[in-house]
Amino acid sequence: MSKGLKADVEKCTGCQICAIVCSAHHTGKFNPSESRINVLDMFPEPGEVKLNYCIHCDEHPCVEACPAEAIKLNEELGVYYVDREECTGCGACVEVCPYDGCWMDPSESYAIKCDLCGGTPQCVEVCPKGVLKR
Amino acid sequence: MMADGYTGNILRVDLSEEKVSTEPINREWARQFIGGKGLGARYLFDELKPGTDPLSPDNVLSVWTGPLVGTMVPLTSRYVVITKSPLSGTFLDTYAGGYFGPELKYAGFDAVIVKGKAPKPSYLWVNDGKAEIRDAKGVWGKDMFRTEELLREEVGHSTARVAGIGQAGEKLSRIAGVTSDITRNAGRGGAGAVFGSKNLKAIVAKGSFGVEVPKIEEFVKMAKHMLKTDVVDNPEHAGLVTDGTPIIVDMSQDAAILPTNNWHSGQFDGYQGIDSDALKNRVFVRKKACFGCGIACGSWAKVKDGPFKGSSTEGPEYETLGLAGSNCGIMNIEAVVRFAEDCDRLGLDTISAGAAVGFAMDIYEKGVITKEDTGGLDLRFGNEEAYAKMPEMIAERSTRIGDLLAEGALRAAKAIGKDTEKLVIHSKGSEYPAYDPRGSIGMALAYATSDRGADHNRAWPVASDAYGDGDPWSTEGKAAICHEEQMMKSYKWSMIFCDFYGVSPENMAMYYTAVTGLPADADWLKAVGARVWNLVRAFNVREGFLRKDDSMPERMETEPLPSGKTEGKSVSRAAFDEMLSEYYKLWGWDDEGRPTKRTLEEAGLQEILGELDYLK
Ligand code: SF4
Ligand code: SF4
Repeated sequence: MSKGLKADVEKCTGCQICAIVCSAHHTGKFNPSESRINVLDMFPEPGEVKLNYCIHCDEHPCVEACPAEAIKLNEELGVYYVDREECTGCGACVEVCPYDGCWMDPSESYAIKCDLCGGTPQCVEVCPKGVLKR
Repeated sequence: MMADGYTGNILRVDLSEEKVSTEPINREWARQFIGGKGLGARYLFDELKPGTDPLSPDNVLSVWTGPLVGTMVPLTSRYVVITKSPLSGTFLDTYAGGYFGPELKYAGFDAVIVKGKAPKPSYLWVNDGKAEIRDAKGVWGKDMFRTEELLREEVGHSTARVAGIGQAGEKLSRIAGVTSDITRNAGRGGAGAVFGSKNLKAIVAKGSFGVEVPKIEEFVKMAKHMLKTDVVDNPEHAGLVTDGTPIIVDMSQDAAILPTNNWHSGQFDGYQGIDSDALKNRVFVRKKACFGCGIACGSWAKVKDGPFKGSSTEGPEYETLGLAGSNCGIMNIEAVVRFAEDCDRLGLDTISAGAAVGFAMDIYEKGVITKEDTGGLDLRFGNEEAYAKMPEMIAERSTRIGDLLAEGALRAAKAIGKDTEKLVIHSKGSEYPAYDPRGSIGMALAYATSDRGADHNRAWPVASDAYGDGDPWSTEGKAAICHEEQMMKSYKWSMIFCDFYGVSPENMAMYYTAVTGLPADADWLKAVGARVWNLVRAFNVREGFLRKDDSMPERMETEPLPSGKTEGKSVSRAAFDEMLSEYYKLWGWDDEGRPTKRTLEEAGLQEILGELDYLK
């Protein structure tokens, strides 16, 4: 079983509050473009919302793809995170992730993905519709 | 960037010269007027020459956010278009939620101020502190659904946010709005025509600068707490969470103030075909929220079967169900969804468009216009097929009636003559929203004194007099309600909160301080509200508006309603005048409705005294 967040996306309203708080937690600014969860409101067609984030899949091809060994294991949580200091910004992880779970920061200089906020994911706490679960 | 919510930058665009530039925001004014309505009004007052034709290159078109926009303060995702209205000739501030406002800030700007007229159809691309005027030939003539799609491709950002005009704005319809995020509209007052008159198709924004506040950790803690206790669990929001504004249809039917068949009745036999249950049972798909909103009042709706199959919209909202539903005799929610979708696509205000179509149906039934004027349509009340073709006819100005209605109902009536003007229900040329004053007398005053022409978003006395336990026909206290609420909304719209957040003045002040680091309390906010409302009033007086323009349509007095709680009820001219005089006194205005020198000084508006001829 993957260790990432679960989402009941049918209930998602596209409010972006998860992305707002995620960016605040990780960057000290309100800046959804640097969020580790990406909310895509797709209207009028297909008339759905899509949530992209690292699901912490068991296979984690991103870890193997990274030439700088910058994607490291958080042993306590058993999930992999991007070590920004060591990430060279090559984008290999972004390419191999089958779940659109990992992408480049807007500066294009390093990859970002969900790190479960060290154990208490902020988005789960704030989602007003109970969409996200740990 | 200072960590105080503001980006600190205004984007200046001169379309005639094809130049863009950035200037720092006026900090002194920002402290006096906050942002949104107030700050935008201050700049407009300063930069617009009185008497300017709203559709000339000299009109100033501006788009404003506020310091709270883009932060985690709930329900502050809005932007406002501020300009001079081509519909009413007054000051115009028209708002939309969705995602465009925050994106503009993330792209580096608190506001965009546009002047002049582009030599050819153009759009503005705003991205991380830079802006570019670009050729719009690929999207001119296209609706806003398609325009958003194409412009996202052109700028190479699939999540760029787009605010722009459909065919209605391009063809200078005075009831054209600005559509953003395809279904969110800065609808009222004809802002879309101002875009069109400048050859400006759209503003496209994408940003990664973010917004900063002084103490982010404390801030997030506070915002989480407020989101839960003041938004999600706030009992005031319950109806909005479960139903949204369509819940009001049944309330208005019961109070007998639901505009029906061009205001000839306050009750509609077919109301169950367009109420909240009809929406939920027949067309509802999912709930939809604006940026940062824990309520999600919006419903994504789609027609599953029948002649309107495939049509979809966000809503329809109560005003649309009233003006474009019951007021056109339409008892089928699916037809209203089609009408609303077309208005979103083509860029028409559903209130004004619905009212205009209701008016046209009225004069068609009376034989004033015929099939020759309607392109062969049998434009009777309740004829869904004819009704559904009207938005396109108005936006494209096809057929005589389409071309006339594009000017708004009042101008259409003036052109048609034959005593049809009295059939138009408006104040200052702006069509009434969906609350009949004959069962809520306070609304007559609210409409008459709304700064942008008849409107429900400045004061809403109907809440207590028709929906609450007040007396709907007593004038007592109505002036005070309008005065209080207009003051409150003036600062609420300067911050700029969504109408539906039942946030207390104390909490608004708390949010302001958390974002800007500057002191504030409820009294200070009131002072800002009074400053803003007086400034806007002074703007309108400078444009020549006087007591005679704070008007109520004749039929509110001469045509009593036929059924239900409002049977036999009307609003007497004397009662209306009495409320108006009392209202002027409360604001410290003279008998003509002009702010006195003392009132302006007390409001901290010394700076503008020299601009007002009547004070000389
Ligand atoms: S980034 Fe993608 S590949 Fe890597 S662990 Fe997350 S979901 Fe798996
Ligand atoms: S906070 Fe919840 S409802 Fe809002 S976008 Fe995120 S997952 Fe969807």
